[in-house]
Amino acid sequence: MILEILSAGLIISACLAIFLDEAVYSVAALAGMFFSTSLLYAFSDAIFVAVFQFAVGAGTLAILFLSGEMLSQKPAKTSQRNLLLITVAGIILSLPAIFLSISEMPVALSGISFGEALWDMRAVDVVLQGFVIMTVALGVVIVLHEKRKGEK
Amino acid sequence: MDFVILSLILLAIGIYGLLTKRDLLKVFVSVELIATAATLNFVMLVPSLGKGLGEAFLVLAFSTDTCVSGVILALLVIVHKRYGTSDIGDLVKMEQEKEEVVEEIVRESEVEH
Repeated sequence: MILEILSAGLIISACLAIFLDEAVYSVAALAGMFFSTSLLYAFSDAIFVAVFQFAVGAGTLAILFLSGEMLSQKPAKTSQRNLLLITVAGIILSLPAIFLSISEMPVALSGISFGEALWDMRAVDVVLQGFVIMTVALGVVIVLHEKRKGEK
Repeated sequence: MDFVILSLILLAIGIYGLLTKRDLLKVFVSVELIATAATLNFVMLVPSLGKGLGEAFLVLAFSTDTCVSGVILALLVIVHKRYGTSDIGDLVKMEQEKEEVVEEIVRESEVEH
């Protein structure tokens, strides 16, 4: 039952994040979506993933709140009627996920732990992704730094 | 409850936002929805691959998602600093106007020669 409520919350907050006009409210709805997803993972017995989702979501949202407040112009506020309509649309959209079922859960093939899977089976992926993240971070810093130099 | 249908619905909402919204911040939110829909699919892998491997794939997917977020946010900041707007429609108009001005200058210089 708790998974169904969380999935409904996930869809409703996703709808609100897309359809709300004001950037800060939209980011707040995205925060709700990240939180619901994190709880969904936690209740599906994927605690590590829930923690990762929570950490990644918190970082993204902190930057998004700042950029949403600084960069976007203030549009006209969404009316109560529109807000209600978006929420109802979200509830309707979440019904198929709750009541329909197209996939069957297959039987688990192996019972390896998270640490074994990450470091014994996907170690190369982890190292390569570390390099990718470092490269992206450096690239972003260089691009922003060049832009600042160009301004001078 | 079915994670495949849930991720399909999220994907549909994200694609709709990507196609209809003109603000770069909304585009970013749509990309986040699509990334969440993709990572939700890995939950389906957990029973078939084993819990550990499914979670490992999910964590790897998160790092890719974080890279995408970083690049989009950098683009958002640069575009807003350079053009003073984050509306895609305005950016396209500005670029068209700029091209028209350049064409006009080239035409004038050709007439003078």
